[in-house]
Amino acid sequence: MNVSARNNVRINGSGERAMVFAHGFGCDQNMWRFVEPVFRSTFRTVLFDHVGAGNSDLSKYDPVKYGSLSGYADDLVEIGEELDLEGAVFVGHSVSAMIGILASLKAPGLFSSLVLVGPSARYIDDGDYKGGFSAKQVEELLEFLEANHMGWSAQMAPAIMGNADRPELGEELTNSFCRTDPDIAKHFARVTFTSDNRDDLAKVTTPTLVLQCSEDIIASTEVGEYVQRHIPGSKLVILNATGHCPNLSAPDEVIAAMRAFV
Amino acid sequence: MKSSRRCAPLSELTPSIPASSIIEDLEDLYENAPCGYLSLEPGGRIFKVNKTLCNWTGYRPEELLGQRLHHLLNIAGRMFYETHIAPLLRMQGFFHEVALDLVTAKGDLLPMIVNAAERRDSEGRPISTRITFLKATERRRYERELLDARDQSRSQEAAARASLTSERETSELREQFIAVLGHDLRNPLASISAGARILLRKPKDETETKVLQMMETTVLRMAGLIDNVLDFARGRLGGGITLSRNANTSIEPVLQQVVDELRTAMPDRRIETDFRITQPINCDRSRLGQLVSNLLGNALTHGAPGKPVLIRALTDNGMFELSVSNAGEPISAEAMEHLFQPFFRGRVRASLQGLGLGLHIASEIAKAHEGTLTVKSDSEETRFTFLMPLRT
Repeated sequence: MNVSARNNVRINGSGERAMVFAHGFGCDQNMWRFVEPVFRSTFRTVLFDHVGAGNSDLSKYDPVKYGSLSGYADDLVEIGEELDLEGAVFVGHSVSAMIGILASLKAPGLFSSLVLVGPSARYIDDGDYKGGFSAKQVEELLEFLEANHMGWSAQMAPAIMGNADRPELGEELTNSFCRTDPDIAKHFARVTFTSDNRDDLAKVTTPTLVLQCSEDIIASTEVGEYVQRHIPGSKLVILNATGHCPNLSAPDEVIAAMRAFV
Repeated sequence: MKSSRRCAPLSELTPSIPASSIIEDLEDLYENAPCGYLSLEPGGRIFKVNKTLCNWTGYRPEELLGQRLHHLLNIAGRMFYETHIAPLLRMQGFFHEVALDLVTAKGDLLPMIVNAAERRDSEGRPISTRITFLKATERRRYERELLDARDQSRSQEAAARASLTSERETSELREQFIAVLGHDLRNPLASISAGARILLRKPKDETETKVLQMMETTVLRMAGLIDNVLDFARGRLGGGITLSRNANTSIEPVLQQVVDELRTAMPDRRIETDFRITQPINCDRSRLGQLVSNLLGNALTHGAPGKPVLIRALTDNGMFELSVSNAGEPISAEAMEHLFQPFFRGRVRASLQGLGLGLHIASEIAKAHEGTLTVKSDSEETRFTFLMPLRT
């Protein structure tokens, strides 16, 4: 099996250590376009799309395998094996923060540090734990995804990189960055928002940095603090950036925090 | 190239208000445009909103200013916005035709189609984000119906497939059963037939002879029925009617034998023959015997009892033609339509009623010989004609 083609792996830069960027639910590796290039001078940067997103091989989408985050973590470990990675820096956004944690537990030594951007160990409230959503609200999101036509007409392969500043190409590419097969998007949403990885946090032995946005409705500060509190020895940086995607809205802040950590 | 049709300038057609005298009130255009406008500062807070959007959502402008767009979205919309729309906007600088539901001050959902564009400074930093909202209630309903129709047709298709599969399995089992049954019925029938023939050879009175002849008729009829049932079942099982053709042996003795059997079995009925076969016929002899037996059986059952049944066979013009005709009531137009379909039975005394397979099998045998079986029926006679090409 060709892991690189399956996950649309892109490698850039030079450097002893590798830095692996994992995108979250919603879009694809383009999420890192304002952050990843900065690290090319000091790291070998690795970008990839989760199976089902971006330019990954959709034919490899197996609902059973990807019925839990563990399936995605297996892919991440395989990418590490194929590229012979050791002691790499992992940078995971949103749900990929947990995917990175699971991979670090499956393959000790693969990562020497974890940068978790907007992580949540569980999105749904559970007793005293406040994940930010009720089970009903998550169901509403799934329904909403079904009703939205982004991706309906979307058998076309998404995203050709590098034309954000060439809007004249926009007609053809409109909305393509976040275009996903609707069934896959729904399934990934379900897997993401019903996941519960609280018990895995304490097992993490890799040095970890949690980057938390202010006013993030997907992963609240409370949720980020919970993650930090339960990963032994981890650090928390609260960003001024608002929203859920500081890697896009405030790349400089994210880069600075990452540099200080690695 | 010049167009042959000349259009009059607009000014010639419309009563003139000089265009220069109408000045669009841009402030009014913004506030009362037939779409909603909303502007976000780079931090995501609303700093301008038009009257149209306020009217639609039931908020006063001051209730919206300083809020985030989330204020107008439900939880699902917010999640979708954060995970899909916001990144998209940041990456490509705009988004088009995104479906979002706005939540009004009263809590009602207002389906919208939304476009947005980032305004950036010379260095590419966002100055603001302009968002345009168009009402899409009807459109969304239509889309919903399309989705429902798709889901419905998917589930109907799945159900139809499932029932087709189960129907096929059942029908296969049923036909296998018929095939086995037909086979098992032949053996006891052969014993009865042999017994009757032995008894016929011994001296006996008139009644005994009559009973034994009746037994022969019945056995013959039943054997024919069983053959038909077996062929039918086999045909349905996918084998079709298979032929073992032979052009070197004459067909006439076979025809004669079928006629003789029926004459013996029904001594009070007259069967006349007219055979003029001058060329070899490449056919399956026993199958043609079965075809003739079915046609004669049909003619004897349905024809007028006092009138003869005529069987003609001849080769002419590169064709083999075989016909069986009888006098009697013509076949009704309605019955004509279904005559060669399996299980079709004409109106006849219950004791004579068969399975309705005889003519069907006969027409299948005709087809297997690349021939045709047709019928003509009027008040004078009913005639079935089998026609097949002689070339092989």
